[in-house]
Formats: sequence, C-alpha cells, structure tokens
Amino acid sequence: MSNLLFLLILLPAVAAAVCYFVRSSAVRTLTVLATGAVLTAASLALLGQETSVPLTVGSVLGIPSDFLIAVLDFALLGVIFMYGVKHKSLLIQGFTLAQAVLLAWFELFMVKSAEVPAFAGDQISVIMVLVVSIIGSLICIFAIPYMKEHEEHLHLKKSRQPQFFFFMLLFLGAMNGLVLANNILWLYFFFEVTTLCSFMLIGHDRTEIAIKNSVRALWMNSLGGLAFVVGMMLVYSKVGTLDISAILAGGPQGALMVTGVGFLCLAGFTKAAQVPFQSWLLGAMVAPTPVSALLHSSTMVKAGVYVVLRFAPAFEGTLLSDGVAVCGAFTFLACAALCIGQSNGKKILAYSTVSNLGLIICCAGLNTPLAITAAVLLILFHAISKSLLFLCVGAIEQAIGSRDIEDMRGLYAKFPRTATITIIGILTMLLPPFGVLMGKWMALEAAAANIYVIIMLAMGSALTMVYWARWGGLLMATREAEAPREKQAGLISLPLMTLCLGAVVLSLASPWVYNSMLAPMFNAPPFAVSFGSLDAATGSFAVVPLFLALGLGAIYAVKAASGFRKVKIVAPYVSGSNVGEDGTYIGPMNGPVPFAAGNMYLGEIFAEGRLTPIFNALAVALIVLMLGGAL
Amino acid sequence: MDTLILVIIGLVAGPVIGGLVAGLDRRVTAWFQSRQGPPIMQAFYDVAKLLGKEKMVVNQWQILCAWVYLIAAAVSVALFFAQGDLLVIFFVQAVGAVFLVMGAMSAKSPYSQVGAQRELMQILAYEPVLILVFVGIYLVTGSFSISSVWELEQPLLAKMPLLYLALGYALTIKLRKSPFDFSTSHHGHQELVKGVLTEYSGPYLALVEIAHWYETVLVLGLCALFWSTNVFWMAALLIGTYALEILVDNTMARMTWRWMLKRVWLLGMGMSVVNLIWLYAG
Repeated sequence: MSNLLFLLILLPAVAAAVCYFVRSSAVRTLTVLATGAVLTAASLALLGQETSVPLTVGSVLGIPSDFLIAVLDFALLGVIFMYGVKHKSLLIQGFTLAQAVLLAWFELFMVKSAEVPAFAGDQISVIMVLVVSIIGSLICIFAIPYMKEHEEHLHLKKSRQPQFFFFMLLFLGAMNGLVLANNILWLYFFFEVTTLCSFMLIGHDRTEIAIKNSVRALWMNSLGGLAFVVGMMLVYSKVGTLDISAILAGGPQGALMVTGVGFLCLAGFTKAAQVPFQSWLLGAMVAPTPVSALLHSSTMVKAGVYVVLRFAPAFEGTLLSDGVAVCGAFTFLACAALCIGQSNGKKILAYSTVSNLGLIICCAGLNTPLAITAAVLLILFHAISKSLLFLCVGAIEQAIGSRDIEDMRGLYAKFPRTATITIIGILTMLLPPFGVLMGKWMALEAAAANIYVIIMLAMGSALTMVYWARWGGLLMATREAEAPREKQAGLISLPLMTLCLGAVVLSLASPWVYNSMLAPMFNAPPFAVSFGSLDAATGSFAVVPLFLALGLGAIYAVKAASGFRKVKIVAPYVSGSNVGEDGTYIGPMNGPVPFAAGNMYLGEIFAEGRLTPIFNALAVALIVLMLGGAL
Repeated sequence: MDTLILVIIGLVAGPVIGGLVAGLDRRVTAWFQSRQGPPIMQAFYDVAKLLGKEKMVVNQWQILCAWVYLIAAAVSVALFFAQGDLLVIFFVQAVGAVFLVMGAMSAKSPYSQVGAQRELMQILAYEPVLILVFVGIYLVTGSFSISSVWELEQPLLAKMPLLYLALGYALTIKLRKSPFDFSTSHHGHQELVKGVLTEYSGPYLALVEIAHWYETVLVLGLCALFWSTNVFWMAALLIGTYALEILVDNTMARMTWRWMLKRVWLLGMGMSVVNLIWLYAG
C-alpha cells in the first residue's frame, strides 16, 4: 500500500515539477497523459487493498517526516503571507500570521511528541481518491487542448501553461494526501496546499478581475485555515492525540472537544464555499474552465465537505450535528434560489455546486447511516456530472464565444455532439434513475425526521428542477439534413465521453457500489440490495428496474425521434403567417419580424444583489448558532 | 408475482380510468354551463382521431419528449400500483414533467416557450407541497412506501386534514385547472393556442393526452391514500374532491403565475407546515 500512496500523492507532485521545468508542450502533454493513466490505475488498485491499516511514514532522507511537514507548513504560510503583502491584503496577512503563531504554539508547547501514523484510509477516503484521481486526471487531459486554444485567444508572448499544469497536478497530489491523512497535522498541511493551489489557479490569467477574485478566495480560505488550527488545538487539548481515527473512535467528548470539531466544520464550510463564503467560488469562475471543473468537482470544494464528513462521528448526536444539518440545508435552499436568477452558464453551475455541497453537508449533519450514505453517493455522482457539465460549458464557450445560456439556444443545430452530451449531463444531475437524484432521494428520506431541514430541502428541490429543465430544453433545436458534422478534438472528446458514460453506467451500478463500498462502513447498513433495488424500512429505490423501464423507453423514444425525417416538419406557430425561416412572422409594414423569447429569471423574487446580503446575514447567524450550540 | 400483476393492472387501467374521468369532467362541466356536452367516451374518440392524423412536428426533440413524457407517466403509475416509494414515484413523474417542458422549449415558438416557462412555475409551486405531503405520510406510517399506508387502522385524513387541503392545491395545478391553468392556455381570448402544448400535434398530442390521463390517475391515487381504510369512503372522498376541482375550475378565473406562487407557497406550504408540526409534536 505504501507504494500506491507514493504514486497517488508524490507522483503528481513530481509530474507537476516536470511540467514546470521542462517547457516543451510535447513533454507536458505526455506527462499529463501518463500521470492520468498511472493515477487512474493506482486509485483502482487501491480498491483491492486493505486501506484501514494505518501507515507510518518514518523519515524522508534522514529527516523525520513529521518535522518535514511542520517545516513545509511554515514555509507555506510564509508564501501565503508574502502574497498577502504583495496584494496588500490585510485580511490574508492577519489570518496567516495568526495561523503561524497558533501553529507554532501548538507544535512547540502543546503537542507531546508521539508517533502517529500519517496515513490511513477507509471507504470514504477510497471513494474520494477515485474521484480525485480519475475525474481530476480527465480534467487535466481536457485542459491540454483547451489551454492551447485559450492562450491562442489571449495572444500571450510566453506560454504560462507550465505554471498552470504545475498547480493542476500538484492539486491532485495534495487532494489524495488530504483524504488519506490520518495525522491531523498532515491533513492541515494538505488543506493549506489546496488553498495555495486554488489561489494560483484562480489568478492564472492575471487580469485585474482574476487577481481580485483570487485574493478574495485566499483570504476566505485563510480564515478557514485559521478555523482549522483553532479547531485542531481545541480537539487536542481535550483528546490529547493527533490521530484522527482515535479522535473519531471516541465520539463526542464534552463541549470543548465538540466546539473544536465545530471549528473544523467551519474550516470545511469555507473550503466548500457554503453561504456566506460562496462568493470566492463564484469569483473563481474567471479562471479557465478546467480550473472551475477541478475546483467544483474533484478537488477544492470536495475537500471541504470531506472534512465535515470525516469528523461526523465526532459530533454525532450533539447540537452541533443539528446545526451543521441546518446550515447545509440553508445553503442548499439559498443557492438554489440564487441560481434561478442566473443566465450565465458557469454561474448556474457554480450556484448549483454550492447548493449540492450544502445538501452533502446537511447529510453529514443528519449523521445517520442513511444520511452518510447519501452524502458519499452525492459526492461521487455530483463530481462526475458536474465536471462533465463544466467541461461542456468550456467546449461550448470556445465554440460560440459565450457562456450565457441564452446564447446557447438551439445549440444542437450546430454542435449536436456537445449539445447532446450537455443535455445528458443535465439529466444526470436532475432526474431518476441517475445517481445525483438517488442521493437527493436518500437525503430527503434521511431528513424527514427533522422539520427545519426537510422544509428547506423540499423548497430547494423544486427550485433545482426549474433551472436545470430550462437549460436542457433550450439546447434542443432542429438540425438541417445537410449540416456538416461536428468536429471535436480527440482530447476534448475523450474526457467528455468518459464522464458521460461514467455518469450513466455508474448510476446503473449504484446498488453494487453501495454494497461493496458503503455498506461495510456501518454496523447496521441502511439498505438491503435485492434485484438491483435498494430497500430500507423507510422506502426503496428500484435502481435496475427503473433503469430498464425508463432506459428502454428512452431508447424507443430516441428511435422514434430519429425517424423524424419521414415526418412532416412544419414551422412553429406564431399567430400569423410564417415567413421564410423558423420563428419569423409578417408584422407591421408587411415586413418579416423575428420573435425572441427568453427564460424567466424571476428577477423580482430571486434577484442576486438583493438576496445575497440577506442570505449571508442569515447564514452568519446560523453558523454562530451552530458553534454556540456546540459549547 | 403479485406486484407484476398489479403493475400490469395499473398500466392498463390507468389510461382507461383517466380517459373516463376526462369524459365525465366534460359532462359535468357542460351541465354546470347548461349545455348538453359530449358523450362520456369523447376523450377516447379525440385521442383516436389525433392518432390517425398526419405526423407533423417542428423538430425531432418533440417526438422524443412526447414519448418520454408518456413513458415516465406510465412508469410512475406502475410504481404506484406496485406499492413503491412515494418520493421515487414523484421523481419519476417529474421526469415526464421535465421532458414535456423541454419539448415545448425546443420549438422556436413564442407560445410554446412562454407555456414552458409557466409550466416550470407550476412545477415550482406544487413540488414542495407534494414533498411535504409525503413527509406527513412518513411521519404517520414511519415509511415512504405506499404499502405501509394500507396497514393503517385509521385513515390518513384524520391526521393530515390540512395536508389534504394543500394537496388539493397541488392537484389543481397538476391537473392544469383554473385558476392555475395558465401553462396550457395562452392567447388573448381564445383557447386554440395551448401554451406548453402549442407545438405538439396529431399523434404526438395524443401521446401527451394519454400521459395526462396517467397523471390524473396518479394524483387521484394519492388522494385515495388519505382514506385507505374503507373503500366506500375512499370513493366518496375521490368523487367529492374531483367534483370540487370541477367546481373550482368553472367558477374561478385564470390567475397569473405570480398570484399562484404567492398563494401556494404561503397558503399551501403554510398549511402543510402547521400540519407537520402536529405530527412532529404528536
């Protein structure tokens, strides 16, 4: 297992260095492809391993590894502090300085040196490693042709791709380290590495807005880092160990420790961009699309929900647990509402990501086996579908020069392949029998016993339906018989097709995914699997029968639709005489008038500018309640 | 095996009952308006006629969407008869609703587009109410499965009267009846243009119509659960509810989606929440 960990954590870092120092695009392409292949293989190999055996990393080149991590921690804080100085951000400087002081105090005076295994894994970590390694690699592969075109568009004199791929790959290694860490100080180190990577990637284009947004991301995540250090110190002062599995095994132990865990959750909230921290993730949209895809699906924000989920056993049955559930449900609702008002494709994806993360955190807070199962399945399926959708928007943006969904009207006519994949991606986010909806179903059933949470989830669920359905619908259009075929670069097509297939096939396989990976986590697993159906006392989801019924139906429908050329194609009704092409009618002065229709964005109800301050204030109140409740 | 038989019964009986209800609806409406009205079988004649018409579409997506709408509606009724999970049934039904909207949006027609947007507003209005109704059933029975409702000694209605009223709102919207029928009616003063249905024609409109019958059966089935202990009272409840729907349909003017959203979210959700609080506390 130690070799696998080496591959999963250190190989990306080494590959990142290769990308950075060897400035040849051929070498870079090859490195990214090879790293992707090895990471995929290594993460799959991890499936067959006994991961729960803790692994101690003795020393590296004669230096004790714990000491090395401590040194790297301070180096990292130093780098972040320097960026704080460079961008004149007092917030970053303050938060980083406070972290450094507290961390020094913690390491010098509080921690009694005792060997703690650095790494250990469980089912959740393994699923996370698969998400990070496979989806992350696919995004990096997509980035190869994407960044080439991106830079051509920017007319750069000197390519900045070496830095770009350096941070992309480093990110993957750091994430793998984060999810496998068993020593809380190691977890903190990797947590901070992801903060730095995201900062560098968001600011990659170095435009004024990119820098502004990257600085905001950095100060918010530094706040998260500070919360992490405080949480770590509080937990240690009660439990007296850095060993995460030992911390979790003891369950909640008194107010001080639970408050500490509350601070760790707060750190998770900042990283997962929960309201009121959503603005950094929205701002991150200025980065090149592969960055957004990575941040939203397999790395940054998933690190946030992972931390909350990881520590869930430590606050089970406390008031903090209810607090986390309510905060998550509130984010789910608030961001779904904010999403309704958006027409920018990337913003829709961003708000829906935050909304879904809220649902995952809500599940962690509900803290029953059913809810935890829902959370893990949501992480998995959301990562696949959301990365797919981001990559689709990236491809569409480079094709039509806009990311506004109104500009994507009738995309199918010109780009049938991309449009179809996007529609499938949207459906996998929204409808049964696909995985994300199944996770939502489990979340609803798990939340039914909590009135505050279920009301917010019921409302949020309806809002979700609206913004996805209207986007999916407007992509559809008529395609001319003699229209040329859509060309798609191989390295664009491969990730898109893989993710699209993955979203569908893995949904179908979800009963077995549940059986082999999730059920062993619990003493009393929430579901029994029979005939491809997940059955519990509270309800059942017949995955395979539904796939058969709806899938065969859909295939029949596609077949019926593909015979449309035998059907008479008519112009749409426009309450007058149609002229010429689609959607034009004879208007005043006997001239042709084209008509235009837009989506309803319900600006009077769901205006972003008006709602955001209200939601932020409410969320701050909820977080204060959550932390206060822990005491 | 029993489940399979029930599923087949559901699939066959669904459109038959739905069509009959549609026919009866027109008869009663005519009676309200002192007209003779069409024969009860008229709904079937209409669909048969539509099926025989020439196939015409604006684009291929409509064919796909009409079929998926029908299939999802049929599957949701099948699941209902198989005593499935209420939330799953509801989400499968939502597949159909979403595809109907997407099909309407695929046509570049102002009526169809506006109808689609309004249909989405309707979904936005009824969906949370329905979920809360199911939560109520869960609180009473301890499960989301329909089979657990049949084991009750006391009708649900006794414990969930306000939720039944809220369900009435959702029912009116789902059946697209006045005052909530704006997604299928739009045009100054006539009904020839049917919003979300504008561009579906001939056999494809027939598919949409049959799907709507399935949906009618599904929502009536939901109502039936509220008096699961006695067949006669169940029938009385259903007849009473549907009669009230027709009365409301014929006496109310069409309202705007803003009115609906406010009304349903405030009143419908409000009643649901009040009722849920009893159940949580009890």
